[in-house]
Amino acid sequence: MARSARRVGMARRDFLRRTGVAVVTIGATPSILAACGGDDGTGDAPSPTGPAASPEAPDASGTLNFLSWEGYDIPVDSMEAWRKDQGIEVNPTYIANHDEIQAKIKGGGAAAGYDLITYYQGYMPLYTELEILTPLDENKLPNLSGLFPFWASDVNNFWIDPEGQRIGVPWTWGSIGLTYNSAEVDEMSSWYDLLDPSLKGKVATVDDPAGNFNLCCKILDLQSNEVPKDRLGDIVDLMSQFVAQGRGVSPSFGDMTTKLVSGDAVACFHGWAAMNTFAADQGVDTIKTNIPEEGSHSFCDSYAIPPTSENPDAALAWINEALDPVVNAEAAEYLVGGVTVEASVENLNKATRGLYPYDDLDGLLELAPLAINAPTESDEFVTFPEWNEAFQGIKAGA
Amino acid sequence: MASLAEATTRTEAAERRRVRPLIATLPAVAWLLAFFATPLVIFAVYSLLTNELYAVGTPFTLDAYRDALTSTLNRTLARNSLEVGLSTAAVTVMAGLPIAYWLRFVARRSRIAVLFLIAASMFASYLVRIYAWRTVLGSRGLVNSALDRAGLIDQPLGFLLYSRFAVIVALVHIFLPYVVLVLYAGMGPLGEGLLEAAQDLGAKSSLLWRRVIIPIMAAPAFSAFVFVFILSAADYVTPQFLGGKDGVTLGVQIQQNFVGVGNWPLASATSFLMLLAFVAVFAVGSFILRRLKLNDIRLSS
Repeated sequence: MARSARRVGMARRDFLRRTGVAVVTIGATPSILAACGGDDGTGDAPSPTGPAASPEAPDASGTLNFLSWEGYDIPVDSMEAWRKDQGIEVNPTYIANHDEIQAKIKGGGAAAGYDLITYYQGYMPLYTELEILTPLDENKLPNLSGLFPFWASDVNNFWIDPEGQRIGVPWTWGSIGLTYNSAEVDEMSSWYDLLDPSLKGKVATVDDPAGNFNLCCKILDLQSNEVPKDRLGDIVDLMSQFVAQGRGVSPSFGDMTTKLVSGDAVACFHGWAAMNTFAADQGVDTIKTNIPEEGSHSFCDSYAIPPTSENPDAALAWINEALDPVVNAEAAEYLVGGVTVEASVENLNKATRGLYPYDDLDGLLELAPLAINAPTESDEFVTFPEWNEAFQGIKAGA
Repeated sequence: MASLAEATTRTEAAERRRVRPLIATLPAVAWLLAFFATPLVIFAVYSLLTNELYAVGTPFTLDAYRDALTSTLNRTLARNSLEVGLSTAAVTVMAGLPIAYWLRFVARRSRIAVLFLIAASMFASYLVRIYAWRTVLGSRGLVNSALDRAGLIDQPLGFLLYSRFAVIVALVHIFLPYVVLVLYAGMGPLGEGLLEAAQDLGAKSSLLWRRVIIPIMAAPAFSAFVFVFILSAADYVTPQFLGGKDGVTLGVQIQQNFVGVGNWPLASATSFLMLLAFVAVFAVGSFILRRLKLNDIRLSS
């Protein structure tokens, strides 16, 4: 998820406008089952912990101290009804920046009392290092069985650690793309199209250090968490060219949408398909998003329980309910995101279902795989602090 | 005996007069100690500890200060911050002085209404005002559209938005009401009689300003200047929305180090160095005021 945003609470829809991660419209056709299911497997079967006999969600109630984006507390009818029936009172702390999660948990210590958080999969190594992700009891998460095989898999240990212990539950996702105003420019098939001299001053970039780094790595065919230190210059050079095509770096995705609508920009490095909708809401229906030939990257946000939790059963019950096919679909519509529960697809409205090619999820995730952030420390690879320093320098022209 | 008792009573009364105001300040002092001084001390300690990724540890070290001072990026951003802060403060005070003067000496019946409007302008959200400037300065904004319709330009003026110019314009707009109110209050001692006396003695308008108004207004104007300078130089929201490359400030980097990178010692050290820069500006200004004997002009009624 984006590392930068306005420093105020915001609705999830607003968050998606202003900060978020990406979603891309690419052609949709048949069979998500063929792409995600069976034995061709975008991913392997999960390795559940404990007996799989008859998992049952805990009958928990009480206060649930929630720390994440506004909207990730799923304020939809189905979830509200379940919450009231269950007797769970949500006490939310909304963030404006993903980094606030680790900052608040590490800064506040156990006294913070947070029961439920979310994390973007790229943060898994950092959160593991900071010991923020506690093991989840799969016996209390019966709805895990409804996940698409890919989202149930242990791909890159994003949600299941190397010992087979579940540490997170993926429940919403999307993909980054190149967003442009089709009334102003022709369709763009390459990220390098943004460097055309005719677009000087018309390309918006966003203040998302991690997202920009991951995307530049993808364009340069580098693995974002294993970039040799001597390749940092290449990434800086590429990013500098994109930033130089615009005037200033937008603080959020919503700000880039505003630039597209006002005509201050005609294309974005990088954007997502939901921006099309947000721009249309503001009267400009010519904004489009695609994934260029060099590819992009995807994101997935997962629920997790931090060590500060004092009501883990309520958190587990919540997570389980978030995987209910109806709740997961309503959440996706509310968040303009993707579903991770197979049976949710049929519950989606046409617009939300059309955001992603559920018939070719394999193809999408190959073109736009789930990225891993740069490490925080390494003698061999570029670290996030090194990139962040470089990116701030690019922004300031230093 | 009576005189001794009277003297004792007077002493006690004087003591009460001396102590009561101090007691009245206790809540504010306690508040500042708890929520300003204590965090500042904690920050100071953090800046001297070793970075441990969203945590700090021993040994004590000056590494964070060394890193903050040797960073080329920090120097660039600090220069940006100082330039934005100084420019904004200078423009705001210069624009505020005539408005405050007009309110104090020219506006009669409309004074209250204008003061209300000035105060009301502060009710608008900070971000709303920033976005409002984008609609004014954007490539399809009011200014460019008007110039285009007038046939004065065939391409939008790019420097208007996403530039330091835009940042300063917006910050001046945001802080001008505060400055006007401070300067208006500072003109309290400037009675009309004083101005009339100066004019009776032959002072023309320019001399009146140079020899009477500005010397008396120097101290409040300096207060307003420092107020705007610190808030503008430390601001990192407006530059992100309206600034280009030369609008990025040190506050952004401090925020990144605290939250994004988790290097609390470096963020704390950079904050303290920024604080030192602010104190230095304040000290230089105060020194100049003292040298010019403008720091404590008192008028008797």
